[in-house]
Amino acid sequence: MQPAFFNHLLLICAFELKRGFATRKSILSLVTFAVIWYFILLYPLRFAAELLVQEKGLQAELSIFDVIGFGSIQHWPIPEFGVFWHFALMIFPMLSIMLAADQTCSDRERGTLRFIVIRSSRNSVFFGRFIGAMVIQALWISAAAFSTLGLTLTRDPSLLSFAIPDLPILIVNLILVVLPFTAMMAALSAKVKSTRQATLWAILIWMFLAGIISSLAYYLPVLAFLKCLIPGYQLSDMAQLSGWRTLSLAYIPLLQSLILLILGRWIMARQAL
Amino acid sequence: MSAPIIQCQQLSHIYSGKVALNQVSFELDAREPIGLVGPNGAGKTTLLSILSGFLHPTSGTVRVFGHPPGSAQLIGKISALPQDARLDPSFTLAEQLVFYARLQGFTRQQAVLEASRVLEIFALKDAAHEKPLALSHGMAKRVAIAQALIGKPALVLLDEPTTGLDPMNVRAVRSIIVELSSTTTFVISSHDLAELDRLCQQILLLENGILQIDKVRVNEQQATSRFITLQMENCPAAEVIAKLIVLEGVLQITNPQKNEFIVEYNPDLQPGMDLQLMHCIQTNHWQYRQLSHGKTLEEKLFSRNS
Repeated sequence: MQPAFFNHLLLICAFELKRGFATRKSILSLVTFAVIWYFILLYPLRFAAELLVQEKGLQAELSIFDVIGFGSIQHWPIPEFGVFWHFALMIFPMLSIMLAADQTCSDRERGTLRFIVIRSSRNSVFFGRFIGAMVIQALWISAAAFSTLGLTLTRDPSLLSFAIPDLPILIVNLILVVLPFTAMMAALSAKVKSTRQATLWAILIWMFLAGIISSLAYYLPVLAFLKCLIPGYQLSDMAQLSGWRTLSLAYIPLLQSLILLILGRWIMARQAL
Repeated sequence: MSAPIIQCQQLSHIYSGKVALNQVSFELDAREPIGLVGPNGAGKTTLLSILSGFLHPTSGTVRVFGHPPGSAQLIGKISALPQDARLDPSFTLAEQLVFYARLQGFTRQQAVLEASRVLEIFALKDAAHEKPLALSHGMAKRVAIAQALIGKPALVLLDEPTTGLDPMNVRAVRSIIVELSSTTTFVISSHDLAELDRLCQQILLLENGILQIDKVRVNEQQATSRFITLQMENCPAAEVIAKLIVLEGVLQITNPQKNEFIVEYNPDLQPGMDLQLMHCIQTNHWQYRQLSHGKTLEEKLFSRNS
């Protein structure tokens, strides 16, 4: 009656979903995010989208969005999605660092992980919780994307046929964007003692990694490829793209996630519980 | 002859420069509960953590049922009460125990029944839908022991199972261990030597990370002399010793604690020493509380001449 590795993955992942949506702490986080997102939708997103529509009507040569560096917004057939894309590229990686920080650290410090590890492998726990954190974020991202679709349709219901092909692009892209951040938090959480430590280390490591690699690449341009190791490295390039072309950089977060997950699994396998 | 359930070879563990376990080697067979004793910092929790797969030893090999700790083959066969481990405060007891049972391979329905069964053993069924923070220390401890019994594992490692429990619950834990010991081997780490004396036939003593095999002489049958421990009501110790020492076959009388006397005797000269002692007590109109064969575990482990 020994359940297989994948069965354990599913059980652990399902338990994480329960933690992500059915506990008091998670409901509080959800409500907070919903309120913040409501105001983002209502003001910056709606106003920016309306401005884009007005500019398109005026056929002006130079847009205000070109001036502030967000010219690529105009390439999206639906202005709301263009604005959402830029907001989401900033918000979700930061949110990922907070949401995925406590994959194993609190449970390890409390001793709860011992109750689980004696009934499953460390690999199942590590990957099960990572997948759980990813599914939770995917649902948050989807909810935010669908709410943007709702905003678009309230302005012009005829845009539905244009919106439907772009919606999965946005969701898949954003899931790929948060993937290496979640993997980084999984690796950090396997090592540090608390959520706060994981978050602080994530910020420090990210800043030092970015600083050191950028400095190296400045003096030795041949080392510029190392920038690929920095989670979120591709974000500024992605912001300039639209539609299916945004997936052209998907290999970067996938590669980063793979490296970080291998590192995290190595830490988890050796960590005292 | 069945293979040993636990095999440790030259097991060492070093925590940031401090030796917690030093070249520990032993084999344990499935049998009556096994006691693990030793002073604070002796390495008891480290040893149990290694056996459970929570810690990797610095050197040496460990096999539990022939497999390394933490391997998939041990899921459901081995269980543990880790010291100071607490349940997740976000979920109810039932939710967590059902989850643990499901990890052990139970279906959803079976897991619900199993969680209910183990909670009922410790009279916690009414608290099934409480969250861990709502429980008293004793209740939390009982839940932690209850989770170790999910799926009736063949080996249960209990680290300080009765610490913080009231006498009634200590008694309940003891009777559960006795009841289940025909099918489950318990390894119990505890400072309560009287408790271990009652439960365990085999004792492992750890001191400074080293297994002290010579100090534990449980099998007194092979010794040339035997012991009887006599606990008296208030009595004149000097007079008792003077009267007992002259009895036939008595080799030595020691008085390790107030009103407690250990009689060392030669069984070849006086096989009925217990009857002779009772007769002496009656003749002198003393009151006794308890007469037991052998030394107490405390005496075996810590008396100067052991």
